[in-house]
Amino acid sequence: MSPITRGIRNAFRNITRTISIVFILGLSIGLSLVMLVANQAVDTKIKKTLSSIGNVISVQPAGFMGTSSVNNALTTSDVDKLETIPDVKDITSNLVDHVQTEGTTSQPGGTPAPGSKVLGSDDSASTGSTTSLKTPYEIDCEKGTCAGGGISLMIKTPDGSAPKLPANFSTPIDFVGTDNPANAKSINASKLSMVSGKAVDPVKDSNDTMVSSDMANKNNLKVGSTFTAYGNTLTVVGIFDSDTQIGDSSVILSLSAAQRLTKQTDTVTGVTVTADSLENLSSVTSAVKQEMDEKADVTSSQDEASEALAPLKTVKKISSYSLIGSAGAGAIIILLTMIMIVRERKREIGVVKAIGASNLRIVFQFLFEALTLTTLGALVGMGIGLLAGAPVTSTLVSNSTDGVSVSGSGMPIPGLDNIGDIQAAVGWPILLYGFAAALLIAAVGSVLAAGLIAKVRPSEVLRSE
Amino acid sequence: MLKVTGLTRTFRSGDQDVHALDNVNFEIADGEFTSIIGKSGSGKSTLLSQLGALDKPTQGSIEVNGKDVTRMHDHALIRYRSETIGFIFQSYNLVPNLTAVENVMLPMECVGMRKKERKQRAQLLLDQVGLDEAKQKRKPGKLSGGEQQRVAVARALANKPGLILADEPTGNLDTQTGDMIFKMLYDLSQSHNTTVVIVTHDLGIAKKADRIFQLQDGKLQERFI
Repeated sequence: MSPITRGIRNAFRNITRTISIVFILGLSIGLSLVMLVANQAVDTKIKKTLSSIGNVISVQPAGFMGTSSVNNALTTSDVDKLETIPDVKDITSNLVDHVQTEGTTSQPGGTPAPGSKVLGSDDSASTGSTTSLKTPYEIDCEKGTCAGGGISLMIKTPDGSAPKLPANFSTPIDFVGTDNPANAKSINASKLSMVSGKAVDPVKDSNDTMVSSDMANKNNLKVGSTFTAYGNTLTVVGIFDSDTQIGDSSVILSLSAAQRLTKQTDTVTGVTVTADSLENLSSVTSAVKQEMDEKADVTSSQDEASEALAPLKTVKKISSYSLIGSAGAGAIIILLTMIMIVRERKREIGVVKAIGASNLRIVFQFLFEALTLTTLGALVGMGIGLLAGAPVTSTLVSNSTDGVSVSGSGMPIPGLDNIGDIQAAVGWPILLYGFAAALLIAAVGSVLAAGLIAKVRPSEVLRSE
Repeated sequence: MLKVTGLTRTFRSGDQDVHALDNVNFEIADGEFTSIIGKSGSGKSTLLSQLGALDKPTQGSIEVNGKDVTRMHDHALIRYRSETIGFIFQSYNLVPNLTAVENVMLPMECVGMRKKERKQRAQLLLDQVGLDEAKQKRKPGKLSGGEQQRVAVARALANKPGLILADEPTGNLDTQTGDMIFKMLYDLSQSHNTTVVIVTHDLGIAKKADRIFQLQDGKLQERFI
């Protein structure tokens, strides 16, 4: 019988003790796996979210969002300064104008709640122009809030009931002039794909526009159709789809066309700066802030995401500590078990040494005993991990993300709308980790046992006769 | 040939040095059956530990077939213990979760013998010590004291050692079984031409040996009865 077989057989010398050790070890490894599952699921979600948000920096005139008194719009010369910043990959300039559908109002009536967003002719981003287009999304109201098309309005009613909007109420349509029509960020979306036609020429000052397929359906538009805005006839040259309602409520045209139509030559209301990598995002953001000084609000996508991702980062931290703690507990359990076993069999070790076994041979036998116990513990732990991984992760995440706002600066941040939706699964890599952890725990647990074995003097056997 | 010269083993007890063995000298020829008698605490087990290379002496040398055991390195000592020495203990010291056959196979594993050969030889030795086939498959807990000591004798003979060291091999057995074990050990040592050093305080057993030594206060003297 080899030391391996003896080691495996020795693990079952005391069945009650073996069951107890395996159960405790299984709990420890199981908890460790559950925490690893949670850690990986949350980490994947954070990375995915950060990567979907991208490495972009939003530059808007100071106080542009959420207030109605912006007189310091940015100019193209401000944008030119940003082009000198190192590690900048792309700069997109936009001019956004809220245009009201003809014969409608965006004044909801009642008293706007503090901090509520009021859209309309007194809006800083509105020139008071009108269009023949109708917004594709209806506004629904309930208990003080009306929402639709990616916009929500908080309106106070005396009795707290659902506000009643005027019959001719409609949210304005964003006319977005941009020098990069392919950049989804211009319309507050993370994805923009052409459905038909072509993109507007970004450098050409023409009346060509792009509308979303929802907008096209609502207004019976197709490529080549025309509509009116700013007292001009505009032509649809392309139809797109985006991943946000606010994006699909927008009309895209070239920056120069928007500046001409709104009579705001040389003016931009927003700039999107893209850093060449996530690593450089922070330094580019600082440089942009320095360049803009107090003239603009500069927010990086990661800044906006960090608040929303904070609960997930907390879950990640908790799961990391718990992972280390439970794996450490497993190692301590097997370490103490092996010390106990070695002390208990001190005499037997002495006898085996006396009949010619080397320390290495005996250590090898005890290592396999530890391996057998930890492998059984790992199997139990894997079972626990498989059963509890997803529910525990989901509980941890939902407890942490409940009530967390993901709206950043007031507008929805694409990619952060389903922050608590995490898919946790125990895959092969996790199970392999469980097994590898068991091997590591067994090895750690056997180290001290090996030291004790080496110290057992065979002469003690005779002395205690 | 076993030659012990000036063997001294001193232990520190509090502030005092205790000489468990004090300048012990003797020679035993190959195949001789020797008994060492002495009272409890006279140094018998210490002497056996020295002869079996389980402990290092404070002074002196132990030569077995011309090689000084006290100067051997660890690896050589392990080989010496596995190939040259066979141990028999008073309380048998069999591994409890191994069967009788597996206990006898254990020392052979240490010298790298193949499993099939190990098993054949273990069964042969157990046959020689009179343990039937059914009992050979039993674990020590299911064997009587006499049967366990037979297994221990078979284990000691496993690697055909030149020297068997037996520490009170009949101490835990009744007189009849003790006599039987002694006779078996004596006969096997004669048939295998093995040197046997048996430590006992049973004068009746000791007298049956070829030579008798007495240990008293760490000093060894040969007795002629």
